[in-house]
Amino acid sequence: MGNKQSIFTAQQLDAYQDCTYFTRKEILRLFYRYRDLAPQLVPLDYTRPDVKLPYELIGSMPELKDNPFRQRIAEVFSEDGQGNMTLDDFLDMFSVLSEMAPRDLKAYYAFKIYADFNNDDFICKSDLEKTLNKLTRNELTEDEVRMVCEKVIDEADLDNDGRLSLEDFQHMIVRAPEFLSTFHIRI
Amino acid sequence: QDLRSRPLPMSQRRALWQEQQKKVPVVSKGESWRRKNAKLLREGKEALKEILYFFSPWRKALQLIGGESWTRSAGQSSFLPFRHALIAGFVLVPSIVFRGSEGTGFPNLTGNTRAQDPVLLECMNYNPNPQGLVPFYTYILDVLLGTGFVELSYLFYGFYENTVVEDRNFYNIPLAYLLTAAFYFAFCLICIVVRSVWLGYAARVAVATGGQTGGEYSMIAFAGWDYGSLGDKETKLKQKNILYRLQVDLEEERLKNQAAALTLKQKVFLYSLRVLLLFLALGLIAAALFGIFQATQFSQKMSGREGIVGLLIQYLPSIVITAGNFVVPLLCDQIALLERYSPSVTIILALMRAVVLRLVGLGVLLFTLWTQVTCGGNPEEDDCRLCQYNYKLYQCWETRVGQEMYKLTVFDLLIAVATLVLVEFPRSRMVVDHSSNALVQKLGRQEFVIPSNVLVLVYGQTVVWTGALFCPLLPLINTVKFIILFYCKKITLFHNCRPALRTFRSTTSTFFFLVVLLFGWGLATTVMVYSVTAIHPSMSCGPFRFFDNMWLIVPATLYSLSDTSRDFLFFIGSQAFSIPLFILLCVVLCYFIALASVYGKTVRLLRTQLKLEGRDKQFLVKQIDALSKHLQIPTHRE
Repeated sequence: MGNKQSIFTAQQLDAYQDCTYFTRKEILRLFYRYRDLAPQLVPLDYTRPDVKLPYELIGSMPELKDNPFRQRIAEVFSEDGQGNMTLDDFLDMFSVLSEMAPRDLKAYYAFKIYADFNNDDFICKSDLEKTLNKLTRNELTEDEVRMVCEKVIDEADLDNDGRLSLEDFQHMIVRAPEFLSTFHIRI
Repeated sequence: QDLRSRPLPMSQRRALWQEQQKKVPVVSKGESWRRKNAKLLREGKEALKEILYFFSPWRKALQLIGGESWTRSAGQSSFLPFRHALIAGFVLVPSIVFRGSEGTGFPNLTGNTRAQDPVLLECMNYNPNPQGLVPFYTYILDVLLGTGFVELSYLFYGFYENTVVEDRNFYNIPLAYLLTAAFYFAFCLICIVVRSVWLGYAARVAVATGGQTGGEYSMIAFAGWDYGSLGDKETKLKQKNILYRLQVDLEEERLKNQAAALTLKQKVFLYSLRVLLLFLALGLIAAALFGIFQATQFSQKMSGREGIVGLLIQYLPSIVITAGNFVVPLLCDQIALLERYSPSVTIILALMRAVVLRLVGLGVLLFTLWTQVTCGGNPEEDDCRLCQYNYKLYQCWETRVGQEMYKLTVFDLLIAVATLVLVEFPRSRMVVDHSSNALVQKLGRQEFVIPSNVLVLVYGQTVVWTGALFCPLLPLINTVKFIILFYCKKITLFHNCRPALRTFRSTTSTFFFLVVLLFGWGLATTVMVYSVTAIHPSMSCGPFRFFDNMWLIVPATLYSLSDTSRDFLFFIGSQAFSIPLFILLCVVLCYFIALASVYGKTVRLLRTQLKLEGRDKQFLVKQIDALSKHLQIPTHRE
């Protein structure tokens, strides 16, 4: 394997290996996936690191296409917050969503995905309602949504301020053993 | 190097990485050597991972299927190759090797005089080979029934010799046979316990931090969505699933509130109705068990018939068991509709009834066999007086018991494949796709219900364990059966079934199945221990021909060991050793229980403290607000 590729310099590849949970091969494979989304925009060697792919292309990937949270995911991991991703953001996203990322890291990003529908660093009731509607395709009645939101906040809110902070969220995730396997995209 | 676990944007991480690299130049030789090693190790691990991934064909298929309980039970079969190596190595191979050689019959305790006794010669009459010309289909029947040429093969107990080879290598086949069976059971037990402990670890976290009931809704909301699901249909299905789970939870809540609000008269009525229906369900199960009893007796009495009728009669117990396991749960489901328990309790009750039916059904079959082999445990009855077992019906009773278990396994496989071919494929392909009948559409495709499928697996495993002593290659046959069933179910899953909407919580359900497996293991062990110690082995076949019971070979071997090892073994078995060991284990158990309860209390205490801290913080913030307004000091809070 080693040094037969000409996309990245050795140092860049090392940097990526140390900054993500991917191996050399996987980083190269991800680069090709990134490039396949828009071959005319992304050069074959890593000379223009600031190329940004628009959200529409990212959201059309088969792994993300049917995920109801894809827009939030792209917004959280993109630098500009709009969902337009550079290669760095792309690798970051799949690294956090890979098998090997630790639970705390995943919990941090999961919190941001669920929380900032209204950009306030907390999961408040309206954020929860939006999440629930995405989870059930808007098929719960309003009453049911309200009841479930109340129950969730009841269960998880430890400092009793009516909304969930990052600590509440992380404490609750510790008790969910299936979180690690569900917050995982295989690519 | 924990840069990657820090939640920073990638560009910042890389900047930090650059800085780290710059700081690196002056590094001791040892440090750089260690770092190079760590890198090599990492690359080695990557290569190894890729190779291993290539070799795990089942892993991909299992991941595709996705259901947790199914993969756990199927994952049990990953231990199978090891078990087979055990059996093959210790019993099968030596038997084959030493069969021809001039082994001496084991110096029997009661002396060779017994073999000379003319009366007892009648007990040793055993010839399962059919005499004269046989019709061609007999061979097929033999494979299905385990008779004829199959009976006189390594498959069954009766074929093994009781030789003890002494010339070149000392190898005691009867002892090997017994010990292999014992180790097999012990190994299975260890596998079950290890797996349940490992599972318990996942459940332990939930238990220590406030119990399973604290956090169902938040769990569904935040950890319920599987990000890895691909495809539009699957996404819709998952969304329906989550919808269903939330609705079920809300419904349970509503039912709980309703139940608490019942008047006394309504409560009495409901409880009496439930008791009545419970008796009805028990009656159904008892009727099924009685049916199994009669079928087994009938089948054993009529075991001489030939041809297709004979085949049917031989398979009668299996047919009745399978029919009972199909019909009774259906009826109990209807009963459950009347009982009006909450959904989770209903599911648990249904599973318990199915489990009881299966295991007790198997127990009844074994009991019937026992009454016939030992004439109801009465060695003075006519048929049994001569050889202490019913030699008229059973020249080689162990083989016969092994055959029953073999038939159960084979029948299970046949029924599964037949259901697949005859029921599920037509149901989905022809009926649902091409018919516009409303009723047919409502029946729809077969739902793949994970719990009942896992129960079938557990039952099959129990049958194999029971038969392992009498039919040593049965685990191997079971493996083949599992493989066939696995691929069949995979086909049916993807083409014919729609996934079940009702899910069963995965950690509790897997634990439940492990407990059931443990019960099955207990049943099989009881059977094995009883047959080893209490029933007289057949005199005409098998490695234990001239013993009064199979266990006697162990003391006999022990006496021939050297003095020190004999004393040591006697010491371990004696009370002076086992009672202190038992007391020590109890003390260790109490320690762990106490530790667990202390941790639970600590966690609860810390949680209340956390809540109080939050309230304090809010109070202080309000005070600051009030004071600042009062003093009209501009605050620095956002």
